[in-house]
Amino acid sequence: MISVNKNYCFGLTLLLLFIALKGHGQGPPIFTDTPIMLGLEGRGIRTFGNIVSKENANVYIQPIVFPYNISTKWQIGALAPFVSIAPDGLDSQSGLGDVRIFTKYQIYQKDGKAKTFRGLIKLTETFPSGNSTEIPSLGTGAYQTTISIVNGYVTTKYGVYGEFGYNIAGNGLPDNFIYNIALGYPLLPQKYPPNQLNLFLELNGNYVFGQIGNTLYLSPGIQYIAGRKLLFESGIQMPLDDSASEGQKTNYILRIGTRILIF
Amino acid sequence: MNKLLIILFIGLSVISGRAQDGLIELKGTIKIEVDGLSCPFCAYGLEKNLKKLEGVETIKIDVENAFVLLTIAEGKSVDEATIRENIKDAGFTPRAITKDNDG
Repeated sequence: MISVNKNYCFGLTLLLLFIALKGHGQGPPIFTDTPIMLGLEGRGIRTFGNIVSKENANVYIQPIVFPYNISTKWQIGALAPFVSIAPDGLDSQSGLGDVRIFTKYQIYQKDGKAKTFRGLIKLTETFPSGNSTEIPSLGTGAYQTTISIVNGYVTTKYGVYGEFGYNIAGNGLPDNFIYNIALGYPLLPQKYPPNQLNLFLELNGNYVFGQIGNTLYLSPGIQYIAGRKLLFESGIQMPLDDSASEGQKTNYILRIGTRILIF
Repeated sequence: MNKLLIILFIGLSVISGRAQDGLIELKGTIKIEVDGLSCPFCAYGLEKNLKKLEGVETIKIDVENAFVLLTIAEGKSVDEATIRENIKDAGFTPRAITKDNDG
């Protein structure tokens, strides 16, 4: 029984972490998704390292994301994470986590001079490929389906992004509502080929239904785009609200990543 | 009389077909205003699509002022409708296409 409870706790912890780290792919911004599926956001690969400091564990997650544009309005992709967990008082585990596939379809586009407003629908399916039979588990052990709406208003002066999604989790895990808001501000003049330095301030939230409650992070970040094909980024998520049990709360999440345009 | 009508019909069909296709041949340096061009990192596809056009020599994308300058090689021309189509395929909205006076 204790084992079941521990598995449930680790599964739930991973569910919360994966949702917090969801940024699939198509940044900028760093932690919130974007409705613009062009350039580095539609023709490249993305990987980033997430260093998660929790009260009862240290976790490292390195996802690699492969988006593929069928057209500028329709994208499919996959995300495969390497997960390493070192819980206090238990042996550490590492290996493949839960793999995801996703598709995005742009439903709205209103362009103006040096500005655009776009919206898309995103459907993500998570497969329980991570080992969930041992403690600590590397996966949630549950199939999950997420449907999200992603919007963004981007000008050459600033960008505002919003992502709202509902995640249906199987295997007895609670459903959750994801809400992310981001504000981006370029520090250098906008030119092409890009030489950009961007600042981001994001709010990344997750409300888990049932007794679990809410998690909300304040996430400042910085991003450097070096030419047409290369981007570096880093951000930190600091909890403003964390309703995890005492001893299981998150101290911070540090992300360091890159995106490389290959097509 | 019948022959005259047939010739007239064929002639009008050809003229209206060309007008519908927007077959306007462009030469020299041309300026294309592009809406939705708000982020330099997403302009790669635009550059790539315009590079595909036969006869295009150079491409300059001005993100701040939202236009593209295309230089067409000497003795070559590019169809305006094709340019518009390639810009749409890159995820942007083409607006006015004019001869660049500075070019």
